[in-house]
This record gives sequence, C-alpha cells and structure tokens, in this order.
Amino acid sequence: MHFSPLALIAELTHRCPLHCVYCSNPMQMAAVADELATEEWISVFRQAGKLGMLHAHFTGGEPLARADLTELIAAARAAGLYTNLITSGLGLNEERLHRLVEAGLDHIQISFQDSREDSANWIAGAKAHTHKIELSRAIRKQKIAFTVNLVVHRQNLDHLEEMINFIEQLEPERMEIAHTQYYGWALANRAALMPTRTQLERAVAIIAEAEKRLAGRIRIDSVVPDYYAKYPKACMGGWGRRLMLVNPSGKVLPCHAAEVLPGLPFENVRQKSLEWIWQESMSFRKFRGEEWMPEPCRTCERRGEDFGGCRCQAFLLTGDDKATDPACSLAPAHHLVEAAVLQENSDPAIVRPQPASSFVQLRKKTEELWSYRTNPE
Amino acid sequence: MAPPSDESRPRLATGTRWAAQSTGGSDESRMILFPEGAIKLQGTGRQVLERCDGQRTFGEILADLQKEFGKTDPEKIRADISTFLEQLQRKRIVDY
Repeated sequence: MHFSPLALIAELTHRCPLHCVYCSNPMQMAAVADELATEEWISVFRQAGKLGMLHAHFTGGEPLARADLTELIAAARAAGLYTNLITSGLGLNEERLHRLVEAGLDHIQISFQDSREDSANWIAGAKAHTHKIELSRAIRKQKIAFTVNLVVHRQNLDHLEEMINFIEQLEPERMEIAHTQYYGWALANRAALMPTRTQLERAVAIIAEAEKRLAGRIRIDSVVPDYYAKYPKACMGGWGRRLMLVNPSGKVLPCHAAEVLPGLPFENVRQKSLEWIWQESMSFRKFRGEEWMPEPCRTCERRGEDFGGCRCQAFLLTGDDKATDPACSLAPAHHLVEAAVLQENSDPAIVRPQPASSFVQLRKKTEELWSYRTNPE
Repeated sequence: MAPPSDESRPRLATGTRWAAQSTGGSDESRMILFPEGAIKLQGTGRQVLERCDGQRTFGEILADLQKEFGKTDPEKIRADISTFLEQLQRKRIVDY
C-alpha cells in the first residue's frame, strides 16, 4: 500500500516562556545547542514540498523563540506549503506579526488556557493571558485565518460556556476545543486534569449548542476525550500515513510522543532525506498498515478507521507498544483506563487558582497538585 | 445561516487560497488550501469557485453557469450551487 505524507509538523524549538501543565512536548527535550540551523530547516521545507505535502505547522515549544521564523515561513511558502503558526503569542507584537504575514503566513493559531486571567496564568505558569487578548485584536486586522485553541480539562470545564463566549469576542474563524491528552506532562498530571463524566456530558451539550448558535461565523472543532470514548482515536490519522514531525534537533517522528517508544531508531534530517525516511525507515514502517496488529484489532471491522489507536498511549499504559490502545472498549487492557476514570470520578473536587508572586513560589504552592513544564538546557 | 443572495459577492474566506498548480494540481484539477485541510476541485466545483472572486455577484455567477450548462434546468443549477456554497460557508472556506 502506498501512502503520501500530507503535512509536516515543524517543532522548531523546545524553548517556551509558558509552563503549561498539559504540554505535549516530550519530557526529554531537545537541547538548544542541537537545534537545526536556518538552512537545515529550509532544506526540510523544500523536501516536504517536493514530497507533495500541503501544510507546514510551525510549533514548538514556542516557535517565536526562533529569531529566523520569518525566513522559515517564507521558505515554507515558497516550497508550496500552507503555513500555520501554532503559538502562545509571547514574543509577537503587531510589527513582527506584520512581517510574518508579509512572508506568507496563512494561518495563526493561539491557545488560551482559560477565559479568567487568574486561572489562565495559573495553568500556564506565566502571565500570558492579557497579552494573548491584545494580540488577538492585532491578528484580526491582518488578512490571515485565525484559530483559537481552547484547552479544556477538570480545572476549567465547569465554566465552558463562559470560555466559549470569551472566544467569540476574539472573532476567530475557527475554535478548537481540545481536551488534554495524556502524554508527557499531562500524563504525570492526569489526576488534576481528567474531567469527570458529569463535566464531560455537560460539555458535549454546551458545545452542540454553541455550534448551532455560531454556525456560519465560527467553526467549532472538538473531539470527545478518548478515556470516555467507546473507540480509540485514529492517532495522527494512522502511523506513517499522513504526517511527519521534525523535532528541534532534526529527528523525524511519526507523532509528537513517539520518542517514548523503546528500541525505535529515529532518523535525522541531517543524515537522511525526508523521502527516504518516509518510505524506507524502520521507524515509519513499523506500525504502518495492519501486519503488526494483535487481536482484537487484526480482525476488527474498525481497524481501517482507528488503526488500533495510539501506539504511544498503548506503551505508556501497558508497557507493550503493540497492544490495542487501552482507550478502546474492546482492548484487553481497557480496565486500566476504566480504573483511572473510576478514580477520577470518585472525587469531583476542583482547585482554586493560587496567586503567586513568582514562578518559583507558584511551583512550590502547587507541587502536590501538578508539575509545570520546564525548559530544555 | 442562509444561502447566498443574488446580490452577495462570494469569495474565498480569509486564510483560504488556491494552491500553486505544481502543488497537487493537474490540468483538470486544482487544489484549495485552508486551515487543517485541502480540497481538490474539478468540473463544476472548480468552475464555481474560480468565479468566487469577491467581484462578481452570486446572480452573475449563476447566470454565467446557467448559460454554460444550457441543457440543465436553471433552477436545479441554482439549487445545487447554492447548497455547495452554503456548505463551504459553514466550514468557513467561503464567505458571502
């Protein structure tokens, strides 16, 4: 079977001014000294364009931490790619935004931690909220697509309606309502982040209502979190079927979390071409197609829809990277997810945001609740 | 939410654009790109969207295409194109 990659995820750096407690970056971060140089990234974008990829997603860490971002966006655009900047907005003012748009930026995506400033800054471990609002106004003056990504979890879901109304005021074309997924920091902080069933059911109804109300103005994309779903998510649209992620030091991964998997040698764009890595590398071929599948996936009629779920989640929860994703109700290890859901529903308490005068103090005050994302060396 | 009126001027939404011909296109098909997606267009779909330039009114686009497809019932053409644009508007790919 032949697959063509559709999108490149360019993780430009793992440096970030925010410390979000659900960050999807690996806990083992790429060191600053190992980051790809400008010319190396430019070569990656050209190769991606030649491979027929359509989208380049600039992410991090915080991609704005790269001083050469304007140049990289211009290069990706010149290579025929649709360019999307996924950012906290910290490090962006109106002038730099204008330069990025001039360079060919098509779409910008800003994440909000909450509608309430104290809570937003508490979750991000940084004073970022006010700046994001100001930046959103500047973005609306530019001719680019604007998405607001709202990350939801136990600590903020109780006022989802308020958050949706808040985002509506920012006038994006799209709103993504993203439940935290449990990898890296979010897995370590799962007990503080996982919503209760009651919260989730309420959220589903609120989102359905908002979709109706905002139809034609704001498109809402949201997914039921997999711990509460009957079947697992089709992670990355299937392993090695659609996406390539290049990390800050040039390692090429089939997904954000793949480095947690044992014994998989990941290739580097410094040694191999993207085309070779896509077609020939062991890391991209290992879970592509259906041969690796165990039962019940192997004979499941849904295997072409969800591909057995997420390999990283399977490994993180069961220790076996070939296991059926335990989020699936048919999985032999589904009891692991059921147990977590049961435990998180036994005590529906949420915590009030804690004011703190510094990040050090904030960490100290919240150490029993969660741990904040840290920065690479 | 409503279908385009005859006076409206349909256009690609902000952040939606045609891909360069070298990207996923051929003589028959062209691609439009937008956040998190792409659509390959050929035939009537392509003919409609190529006319959605923010200059022509929906009424003009319709008259143009009704002439082009002279053998088809003009009201059917109107209904089909109207639905097509309304669906794209919901996805924030087209504005009018």
